[in-house]
Amino acid sequence: MEPGQMIRGADAVIKVLAAHGVTTVFGYPGGAIMPIYDALYGSPVEHLLSRHEQGAAFAAVGYARASGKTGVCFATSGPGATNLVTSLADALLDSVPIVAITGQVSTAVIGTDAFQEIDVLGMSLSCTKHSFMVTDVDDLIPTLYQAFEIAASGRPGPVLVDIPKDIQLAHLEYRTPLLAVTNEPQAEMSDIDAARALLAEAKQPMLYVGGGVGMAGAVDQLREFIKVTGIPSVATLKGLGSIAHDTPGYLGMLGMHGGKAANLAVQDCDLLIVVGARFDDRVTGRLASFADKAKVIHLDIDAAELGKLRMPEVAIAGDLRQILPALAMSMNITPWQAEVEHLSRKHQWDYHHPGSLIYAPALLRRLANKLPEDNVVCCDVGQHQMWVAQHMWFRRPEDHLSSAGLGTMGFGLPAAIGAQVARPDATVVTVSGDGSFMMNVQELTTIKRRKLPVKIVLVDNQKLGMVKQWQQLFFEERYSETDLSDNPDFVLLASAFDIPGRTIFSSDEVEEALTEMLAAKGPYLLHVAIDDAFNVWPLVPPGASNSDMMDEMEKQT
Amino acid sequence: MIHSLELTVQQRPEVLERVLRVTRHRGFRITQMQMRMNDDASLSLDMEVDSERAIELLSNQLNKLIDVTQCKVLLPLSLQQTANA
Repeated sequence: MEPGQMIRGADAVIKVLAAHGVTTVFGYPGGAIMPIYDALYGSPVEHLLSRHEQGAAFAAVGYARASGKTGVCFATSGPGATNLVTSLADALLDSVPIVAITGQVSTAVIGTDAFQEIDVLGMSLSCTKHSFMVTDVDDLIPTLYQAFEIAASGRPGPVLVDIPKDIQLAHLEYRTPLLAVTNEPQAEMSDIDAARALLAEAKQPMLYVGGGVGMAGAVDQLREFIKVTGIPSVATLKGLGSIAHDTPGYLGMLGMHGGKAANLAVQDCDLLIVVGARFDDRVTGRLASFADKAKVIHLDIDAAELGKLRMPEVAIAGDLRQILPALAMSMNITPWQAEVEHLSRKHQWDYHHPGSLIYAPALLRRLANKLPEDNVVCCDVGQHQMWVAQHMWFRRPEDHLSSAGLGTMGFGLPAAIGAQVARPDATVVTVSGDGSFMMNVQELTTIKRRKLPVKIVLVDNQKLGMVKQWQQLFFEERYSETDLSDNPDFVLLASAFDIPGRTIFSSDEVEEALTEMLAAKGPYLLHVAIDDAFNVWPLVPPGASNSDMMDEMEKQT
Repeated sequence: MIHSLELTVQQRPEVLERVLRVTRHRGFRITQMQMRMNDDASLSLDMEVDSERAIELLSNQLNKLIDVTQCKVLLPLSLQQTANA
């Protein structure tokens, strides 16, 4: 391009994306974003058409989480933008870097209740890390650069840029703005010393690892820290994959549906080292009794998480890649390691299940063991999600995509689409439930259109299973609106999108069916019929301490 | 308990909404508020807020807002008098 050459704002948007290395955008066109779609036409930036803006933004989330890059999505004004809200909220609660670009009605008619006009900036305040409305074309490029910087820096999150149609059509000279780099917090040496002093005197330390480790790119540093210190560990839903599953002293997920060994070890510890985690209520159970004998070292990039729910003895805000090596020291905790090992052996999962019915935990364990090294597992929300977390294992946090903070049904299918685009050579499997699957089922068309080889494992108990489980346990078996026995024929549905599949009912079909699915070159739907009597165990009842987990036996007595 | 905050924020059309939204959502009620436009494209915002919650739960969240350049928690009046004595 010649210096001084004028281009449209819409063309500048695409150029800024290309300058940030964006190769794929997920979106859906409409009136107020037509200039941007016009600029996209024939440009090197690829666009993946979703069939609902929520699907587009979830695909961007899946792309971001599977790749570590910032995901980008487009939507038009009004309903296009409002349809983004759920996915943006999901990205906010799970700290996923997203740049969402929305078309807006022209500046002259903003505030007149124009066709497809809604106050998107106002709407964005509670579901984004930050948001902008561009009202001067000269601000367009610097604003977009700032959006990418804010989305990915510090604790990542979604940023929305609302661009009125006249700004997209106005002309400007393309200039790369000067970058203002965000100052990240730096750990204080005195805090590092204080944390090391606590570590030195701890007899029963535990590591509580969250999603912040993967997002900080600190998985290697964490693994080295564990190797040097020998401290036993647990992970949150988003922390899964940060620690290799066969690491000595690693007890898997803690919390409401965590393992008994994980919860009991945390309850027993005298020092809790919290790394990139935030004392979520699904993790802590009754907060006042959570690890109540322990001193706490809390490490996070977001200073606002330190002391938010539990006052730590030592709080360090900063880059985990620097903090973890600074804290590593050899420790003499052999008796505690033995105790944790004993807990781990005592509370191992039991996959022996009598009868011919398919036991979903056993199927998922088998699937995890069969997956090739380069894989991504996505899931939706509910019972199957907890079974995936409990019974599958992951090599890296970016291999497990689960809607953790917001708990959004309908996440799995579009997230898998984004993950498959980000990692075209990976085996991408989405595990869904019969409830969740129907929430973004329109995205099967996106799979068909792009011939994406996404594998779908649909665990079907003809129920909204997790709600049903709570009705059974805590609402006197009053099954209000959780029966889904009138589900469609899922295999027939998939075939309408050229996706082959089959239904299995019996445990002796599992091995062969998983093999067939993984061998399929293209997409595949494995419909797994399970008994609706199966529930997720163990369980910390609402309001109870993590020491008081219920398991199946207790329920029956 | 009543707390006093002094904020410096960037002059943006929605900046007050951002501050008010976070204050409400994090469990604080504004009992007094004053705003001044400064010459350097910033705004000064003095607020008194009431809540049972620790003031850091609010000030830390306000500090995270991109358009908030400074959020200072003033000592409670009684402590200020002690400090001056």
